Amino acid sequence: MGCATRSTRARVAREKSLPTPILQVRDLRTQFATDGGTVTAVDGVSFDLYPGESLGIVGESGSGKSMTALSILRLVPDPGRIVGGQVLFHDQDLLQLTGEEIREIRGRDIAMIFQDPQSSLNPVLRTGFQVDEAMLAHGKSKGEARARTVELLKKVRIPAAESRYKDFPHQLSGGMRQRAMIAMGLSNAPSILIADEPTTALDVTVQAQILELLADLNRELGTAIVMITHNMGVVAGLCERVLVMYAGEIVEQGPVEQIFENPQHPYTWSLLKSIPRVDALRHERLRSIEGLAPDLLHPPLGCRFHPRCPFRIEKCFHDHPHLEHVAAGQQAACWVTMERARKEMGADQLIDIRPGAASGVHPGELL
Amino acid sequence: MAATAAAVVVGRPVAPEQASLWSDAWRRLRRNRLALAGAIYLTFLIIVALVALVYTPYPMAGVAVAKPYSGPSAAHLFGADALGRDVLSRVMVGAQISLTVGIGTQLIVLAIGVPIGLVAGYFGGWIDSIVSFAVNVFYGVPDLLVALLLVVLLGHPGLDKIIIAISVTRWMDMTRLVRGQTLALREREFIEAARAAGAKPLKILFGHIFPNALGPVIVQATFGVPAAILFEAFLSFLGLGVPPPQPSWGSMAADGLAAIRIAPHIVVAPSIALSLTLMAFNFLGDGLRDALDPRSRR
Amino acid sequence: MLTRGTLIYISQRLVLIVFTVLAVSSAVFLGIHRLPGDALFNEHLHGIEYQNVLHHYGLDQPLFTQYTNFLTGMFLHGDLGESFVNRGVKIAPLVLREATVSAEVGLFALIFTIGIGMLLGVVAAVRQNTWVDYVLSTTSVIGYSMPNFVIATFLLLFFAVWLDNTTNGSFYFQIGWSGTYGSIGEIWLPAFALGFPYASIVARLTRASMLEVIRQDYIRTARAKGLRETVIMVRHALRNALIPVVTILGPLVIGIITGGVVIENIFGIPGLGKEFATSILNRDYNIVIGVFTMYAGLIGIANLGVDLLYVVIDPRIRY
Repeated sequence: MGCATRSTRARVAREKSLPTPILQVRDLRTQFATDGGTVTAVDGVSFDLYPGESLGIVGESGSGKSMTALSILRLVPDPGRIVGGQVLFHDQDLLQLTGEEIREIRGRDIAMIFQDPQSSLNPVLRTGFQVDEAMLAHGKSKGEARARTVELLKKVRIPAAESRYKDFPHQLSGGMRQRAMIAMGLSNAPSILIADEPTTALDVTVQAQILELLADLNRELGTAIVMITHNMGVVAGLCERVLVMYAGEIVEQGPVEQIFENPQHPYTWSLLKSIPRVDALRHERLRSIEGLAPDLLHPPLGCRFHPRCPFRIEKCFHDHPHLEHVAAGQQAACWVTMERARKEMGADQLIDIRPGAASGVHPGELL
Repeated sequence: MAATAAAVVVGRPVAPEQASLWSDAWRRLRRNRLALAGAIYLTFLIIVALVALVYTPYPMAGVAVAKPYSGPSAAHLFGADALGRDVLSRVMVGAQISLTVGIGTQLIVLAIGVPIGLVAGYFGGWIDSIVSFAVNVFYGVPDLLVALLLVVLLGHPGLDKIIIAISVTRWMDMTRLVRGQTLALREREFIEAARAAGAKPLKILFGHIFPNALGPVIVQATFGVPAAILFEAFLSFLGLGVPPPQPSWGSMAADGLAAIRIAPHIVVAPSIALSLTLMAFNFLGDGLRDALDPRSRR
Repeated sequence: MLTRGTLIYISQRLVLIVFTVLAVSSAVFLGIHRLPGDALFNEHLHGIEYQNVLHHYGLDQPLFTQYTNFLTGMFLHGDLGESFVNRGVKIAPLVLREATVSAEVGLFALIFTIGIGMLLGVVAAVRQNTWVDYVLSTTSVIGYSMPNFVIATFLLLFFAVWLDNTTNGSFYFQIGWSGTYGSIGEIWLPAFALGFPYASIVARLTRASMLEVIRQDYIRTARAKGLRETVIMVRHALRNALIPVVTILGPLVIGIITGGVVIENIFGIPGLGKEFATSILNRDYNIVIGVFTMYAGLIGIANLGVDLLYVVIDPRIRY
């Protein structure tokens, strides 16, 4: 059906020069049954992850980026259900595995760390033991696990690792807790580490340290990192490639430098506009995106971003755009694309970024 | 603009959600089958208790109206007890006793707990400290044992003594609840508004705070009734309840227990009546709580 | 686990228990001694005989002297006086012996309550919104709506009467205390009757607290680590779900102690509860005071135990 053609097209458009992907996500769909109806939190997401690379997934809260990550390991909370697609890890569809088989993958081949290290560590168990557990679950003996935990705690630069092993989570600082989480994630030397907003709950200096640590580990251990974040700055600092998600869909993807230089989707463009840049012109205002994130119960027809898009055209109101090749290794799902917006709508000089402001298209809508 | 909308001042100091709350609650309650079954059973029980005031199949103290220990029959549906008294007639009168104790106790508990809770919660300070201390002391002692002791200390047995003894050991739940509600409501805008409009504390307490705490109070009172009935049954079971030949479900069960091998119906009839009644109140209480406080889902 | 702070805390609490025992026994002593009419009146003694008995119990002295005698007796000699009904029977050893019997039955009841209650609560939580959950939730209301003597009645009817009748007396459970442990009719049936209403409450609480806990982030972390579901439930979820359950252990202990007053009578267990009911009916006030004193001490120690349990379960709590 519609989604199948889209993913086929996406695949054709993909770059061929890279090695075999370690993880291939195909047309992933995750839905939540709520009182008001069904919410499709992840709506036909497809992407590849290559060994050792670091991939960023950015988007606002509610864009489906965390749900995409949780769906990969089948950790979607109730009442969420993965209703379609494939997650191929070494050509094995994770969505078809038995409970025991996916359990063996979790933490061993694909590890995941979470946003708030305060709530993500069990308050009644010793921190070191919680790291041990990840290894005990995958066949290491107690002695081995313990020795490796201490080594890992040192590796993630926790001072006095031997004595910290015995501490409870509440006795550690936020940064140390996140380091312990990372140690836990790396304990079985997984080929993929998914980090869901790992720095959001930390203060700025600690954020930088954690990012640096992740970058070092990515380089040293060759672990592929999937970085889920709402912060373009984090992506810039850590990732090679980035997926931009909006309302459950990928709207743009490509190499980080390219996308930062030359975003093609208006949403990416406004995300990049909203972060302060040292090289920005003095007069350029720091702008946030106009309008509210879309209501996923009743997603807008056509392009989901059109109610907030300054560059929308008539077509955006009823035709749903799919990811199209826009530059080398870069794809965007937009009928207009920024290239045209720059040329025809003067996007670079735009001050008014209200919906339809640049294109002047407001059919039947009140401003 | 959002700013102007937020700046609109409510004219009259009324909690806006009140009217719809009660109709919503009623709708939710009707959907709860267990609560509904409880309410129907309790209505039936109240009718039985009222009928027993003027009519019982046999006199409740009438000795030897049947063969002692005889089992259920057409003439004596629940059989007869050790003295040949009709068990059905006695269970009917027992319903009177249980309901009187249950409801009477809750009335006293309301009369004590609501004003004390309101005052402690609203004024705070040393009044609140004293009340909280007293509540905690009473929570620390085994309530049933204190009730037992009180019944003895109060002298001659009788329904009024039992009600007083139970009330003294059961007033804390309501007090604590009302105090907590008052503390929460005290800071709400419509109370501030009433205060600013110059309302007297008494008017604020009973005119504004109490009506808004009514939902939880009703739920608490509904749970308090079976607790009191249970206490009375315990006291009567131990021989410290209403004086014979007045039948209470507790004393009937105690009497029947002695003959459990030869005539189990004597103990079973009041036991089942008692359990059903407590269950009905608890189901109704659960239903009311769910209906009046939709956030606290079980 | 036993830090210096904890030791200081324990000793403070022990001092507090002593004061509670003092306050409770004083209140009961003074309350009861205002009363006219006690066990002695039943003996219909007159004149010098009566005076002799009064003197024997020290009741001819002013109330204040009686009170100080009572206090010095209790605290200095561990002496709670003598029974009014059975002259010469010392109360302190009596209630101490009875307390051990009650504590034994109570402990079984407690194990039963917590064991069954938590098991059912966990099952209901894990199977939330299935028929298992609905059946368990409804049964739990029925459970705590049944007075313990009603439960005891039905247990007796089934295990003693019905089994006896249907097997023609070849198989049934002997009810009654023999002092030999582990007999089902002797300990498990009364423990069941005592604990069942509270097991329902524990089950409800455990269910609610498990549902709260399994939504927590650290459960997701545990899953992401690849832990087995049983390990997640027992080590990660239940450990945390226990914390709110511990809060009702205090009221639970009180409930089991008070329930004993009725249950010990039904099952013929020579414990504190049976003694309490008998002595209050006999107006043997010295024993009533003694039992109350014992109860105050037991409850104080039980509550201290509960508070210490918090430290074991929740490492964030330190005294």
